[in-house]
Amino acid sequence: MSKVVVITSGKGGVGKTTTSAAIASGLALRGHKTAVIDFDVGLRNLDLIMGCERRVVYDFVNVIQGDARLSQALIKDKQCENLYILPASQTRDKDALTEEGVEEVIDQLRQMDFEFIVCDSPAGIEHGAVMALTFADEAIITTNPEVSSVRDSDRIIGILQSKSRRAQKGDEPVKEHLLITRYSPRRVAEGEMLSYQDVQELLRIPLIGVIPESEAVLQASNQGMPAIHLKGSDVAEAYADVVARFLEEGSNEEVLAKRPLRFVDYEKPGLIKRIFGGK
Amino acid sequence: MSRMPAQSRDLEFRNAAMDVTIAVLHHTEPPRLADAMHKMMGGMPDFFDGEATVLDLGELAAVPDHIDWPGILSLFRRFCLRPVAVQNVPPELLEGLRQTNLAILPEGGLRNHPAPAPAPASAPVQQQLALTPPPPSAQQATTMIIDRPLRTGQQVYAQYSDIVLLCGSSSGAEIIADGCVHCYGPLRGRVLAGGSGNTNARIFTTNFGPEIVSIGGIYKTFEHGVPDSIAGKPVHVRLVTNESGQKLVIEPLRLN
Repeated sequence: MSKVVVITSGKGGVGKTTTSAAIASGLALRGHKTAVIDFDVGLRNLDLIMGCERRVVYDFVNVIQGDARLSQALIKDKQCENLYILPASQTRDKDALTEEGVEEVIDQLRQMDFEFIVCDSPAGIEHGAVMALTFADEAIITTNPEVSSVRDSDRIIGILQSKSRRAQKGDEPVKEHLLITRYSPRRVAEGEMLSYQDVQELLRIPLIGVIPESEAVLQASNQGMPAIHLKGSDVAEAYADVVARFLEEGSNEEVLAKRPLRFVDYEKPGLIKRIFGGK
Repeated sequence: MSRMPAQSRDLEFRNAAMDVTIAVLHHTEPPRLADAMHKMMGGMPDFFDGEATVLDLGELAAVPDHIDWPGILSLFRRFCLRPVAVQNVPPELLEGLRQTNLAILPEGGLRNHPAPAPAPASAPVQQQLALTPPPPSAQQATTMIIDRPLRTGQQVYAQYSDIVLLCGSSSGAEIIADGCVHCYGPLRGRVLAGGSGNTNARIFTTNFGPEIVSIGGIYKTFEHGVPDSIAGKPVHVRLVTNESGQKLVIEPLRLN
């Protein structure tokens, strides 16, 4: 039984594509056959972050319009055995995504026994973003700890609750998860940033994880490597935690009790560290 | 954005009821209206958000010889209202309206509401109502209950009734009830009770934090944030009328 997971946020630049790449890779690393689809038609970033931009021959829109078969367009990831990427088209715009076309592609992926189909949503609340969330079973709402990002996430949750197929058919609602990215415990301690508790209080959906702000993410994207492969980095570990919690059964409290949040507390550098410098 | 499966016809007509804002004009000189609107919105030119608006000419203080329609329409657009129709037009004014492209609604085109609440400074009364619903009856006046958080950009309208929010609302949401608003959880966003002029309506919440509250058309905004004494606390809002006018009173609510 395949699960469609949308990574969405409303606001741009919060880390949707980074998160899509990391979570899709994390699921594949745990042995689940996973496809990740770039819905950002016209901009196309996911292939860069996954490091497969030179292998794009056919894309999502080609498949929807019948110019290529799905199996021709899927790119096998170079690092994970079970991971395939369906890149976006750079030359079309988002109107090329029709609801019937997207449904057809997702149905075909289901038939190909993909366990997880990760949809990387474009920013905004227009057609492309709506197409990305229409078929979702679960949603990871990616939010930065700042008010405009929180408000946009709130808006996209509302859209999820009205425009997703599950909502329209009156099925069990899309399962929502809150993922806070680019979190800086130091800036939270100094009162410059919303804390993860504040964000959760504002959005009132279950928290699946907190990803710390890190320079390593930029390096990883430039190298075309999903952040979860950055061995030993806090970002990779935080994403691995998110994937583990995502796969865990049970209530949000139970899951967080079993695998508590990491990298959310700020320790003031001690005197010696301050004198002799940090890292 | 759900699309129907391929349609055989290129065009279809459907009927729908919609919420419109009615602006009851007592005067028609654009500068005078501009002053009044400026006062009412308290310097928030984006208070409205492109709502469809029906101009009601049935309560004009005097029927003028000439109305500056371009001036009036651009004034409404400036305040982010979109005039789409006029109603209760005195016959003398029909000729001048031809050029405006506004629909002229037949008498009784909109459901009659109870008399609008007197607004401050004889400014136009702002109210929400729906086109062509059946008249209110006892059966319809059931309370509207919302079981999920109301999110940014979502709007609910409890016509003829109270509304109960069980999971609160977010900033950027809009809650309108012809009756009272009861909220168990954080109440944020725009909260309008007594939507069709019921000045006895009240607002109750266990956690107060809206951007604007209104009862029967009387508004209060929180430009500098909600005061600490009531922010996040159980609160009760009502409209008090005394000799100096009408005033929204916001008081802590004692919960045991």
